[in-house]
Amino acid sequence: MTTRSEFLDRIRTEMRKTPGLFPATVARRPARPAAEAEIVRRELAERWPETLGRFRLEFERVGGILHRAATVRDVPAIIGTLARERGARSVVTWPAITLGGDLVGDLGGLGLDVLVMPEAEVAGPERARLRAPIAEAAVGVTGVDLAIAETGTLVLRSGSGRPRSTSLLPPYHVALFDRGALVESLAQLGIFLEAWHAGPDGAGLGAMINFITGPSRTADIELTLTRGVHGPAEVHAVFVEAGLGG
Amino acid sequence: VSEVERGSSLRQRAERALDDRFLQQALTIATTKFQTLRREAFDGFAEGEDLRARARAIKEATLQSLDRYLEQLIDRVEQRGGQVHYATTDAEARRIIVDIAKRTGARMAVKSKSMATEEIHLNEALAEVGVTPVETDLGEYIIQLAHERPSHIIAPAIHKTRGQVAELFARELGRPVEADPEVLTRIARAELRQKFLRADLGITGANFAVADTGTIVLVTNEGNGRMVTALPRVHVALVGVEKVVPSLTDLMVFLAILARSATGQKLSVYTTLAQGPRRAGELEGPDEFHVVLLDNGRVRQLAGPLREALACLRCGACLNVCPVYRQIGGHAYGSTYPGPIGILVTAMLDGPESVKELAHASSLCGACAEACPVQIDIPRMLVELRQEVNRKKIAPRSERVVFRTFAWLLRHPALYRVAAAWARVVQRPFVRNGVIHRLPFFFAHWTRTRDLPAVAPRSFHERWTGLRAEDDDGRR
Repeated sequence: MTTRSEFLDRIRTEMRKTPGLFPATVARRPARPAAEAEIVRRELAERWPETLGRFRLEFERVGGILHRAATVRDVPAIIGTLARERGARSVVTWPAITLGGDLVGDLGGLGLDVLVMPEAEVAGPERARLRAPIAEAAVGVTGVDLAIAETGTLVLRSGSGRPRSTSLLPPYHVALFDRGALVESLAQLGIFLEAWHAGPDGAGLGAMINFITGPSRTADIELTLTRGVHGPAEVHAVFVEAGLGG
Repeated sequence: VSEVERGSSLRQRAERALDDRFLQQALTIATTKFQTLRREAFDGFAEGEDLRARARAIKEATLQSLDRYLEQLIDRVEQRGGQVHYATTDAEARRIIVDIAKRTGARMAVKSKSMATEEIHLNEALAEVGVTPVETDLGEYIIQLAHERPSHIIAPAIHKTRGQVAELFARELGRPVEADPEVLTRIARAELRQKFLRADLGITGANFAVADTGTIVLVTNEGNGRMVTALPRVHVALVGVEKVVPSLTDLMVFLAILARSATGQKLSVYTTLAQGPRRAGELEGPDEFHVVLLDNGRVRQLAGPLREALACLRCGACLNVCPVYRQIGGHAYGSTYPGPIGILVTAMLDGPESVKELAHASSLCGACAEACPVQIDIPRMLVELRQEVNRKKIAPRSERVVFRTFAWLLRHPALYRVAAAWARVVQRPFVRNGVIHRLPFFFAHWTRTRDLPAVAPRSFHERWTGLRAEDDDGRR
């Protein structure tokens, strides 16, 4: 078996034989990413309606459906309607603390079966047991860390109370966000990604970040576009005007 | 590619492809569509050209400090609880992954699309030790059921009709299946969903590996990349050493051009950043996270003639614009990686003798270099490969004799003029309307599928001398 030092030594030997093709530099990274991310946020706070407009355009272009709710209390009705229209009864949701609002009671009142994801570490057998009901649920409700206007993308970090499967296994994904999540571009997303990784790993943060740009799709059979091949067939983003708590 | 096909010559495979009417139609539709989508994506994207140049510069800068970035990647993966393995050859990579599968008692492995695992023929090795490999990208799943290899880097099953796919599914499920893409996709979802939930091992490649954070980046449209990294208890990523990028800021530059070049999307549906095993508090994620760094011929190209090809993002744009690929499709190349870049990658992995025929499967028109998101000069390297194949006497003897004679004539102007005058006489019986349709002997290979322009009545040299004389007269 090749060892680390053997492997790297071989690379160094080959590197010494050539200076490279042309002088080149890597991308310039933000010097103080956390501060720069804060500046982006502050600047965007003043022009969020334009950013939301651009997000809507791009999100709909990739097949997403945008809803607007005045407050978080209006969200269950939106979920209830879309569930009813699709004959869906079961909902799996992130807990109130990561969602930014408590929907469980109201969703239950609408006749939906609601399964709330655990907020903290659970033991292996319990994790295994939860998998089947998540996979069978029709609607998955999550929060969003960032919404990228340039591409219509939702960015979700995994972690405590932020399971990856909620936005993956059910055929309908509903994501809640507010103006604080809106950014304009991939370049700005880069600043936030750098900021998230700048310090020691944040407590409660997981090992996965997903950028989600519309519903799951394929064109592998005769180039016919088909939605929902492995992930959700529909992605709904609910913009909460008054903001989400937490 | 069946064993029969592997043993056949490029010409035989190309002929078969040219006779396959469905394939011809599918190739035209698919490559034209991908070309249009790509062009539209860049047309409305002012910073596209600048980003291509920056992306290429980042690749080059990374290669110039490759040891440093790899060390950083290794350290970060280990700090996050992952394990790193080192594979100098394809055999070593297979052994590492098979050992992980055996040690963890894996019975089924779900895979998201990975050209690197195709390259090392991993599926056969897993099956040999009783681990069932399941391809989960819909296109890859189809060709796995058909026991074939991908015919396009990003659309592996473009050569299959819906009817053929329905037959494959019917055979697998033991019941009749309707030949409708929607229905077929729903069936694949149900079938593969069970496998995602049951599999012990998730195997992926990597579109990028971020050194600064130890992140494996996967780009998919279907979501299978998310499934295989979230659900099985072990995740193995096979990563070519050239996939490393320095930072997340650099990653953003590549993401902005990758999907646009491949499918015309601004971003693919899912960009998955996997960093280590499941952390405390998480509901999903693997217990074990393995990164297998793969050399397999890449490292020697750091100082080799194919260095530029190490910048490749595997987007497939050069396939879609290549007049040769558009006619013969991926299987005719007979190698894992098809298309213009595929010829270079094959030479990288298996040496120049492996492409003695393929090096000529290009018109050198330059469309590939123009389409490439990282500006790889593919035609230049193809010409150099042809030279090397010729120099090492790997090329067929007849070809070498013809080119040597031609080169010698070009170096002796007087003889060249005599030869040209002679050729004007000899060609007479074959010329019709200024072109030669048919030549005798082994020259017939050339004229069988194309015309050769006749040697002109006056050479450029003669005309130039005449023109200059006229010009001088005019000025006087």
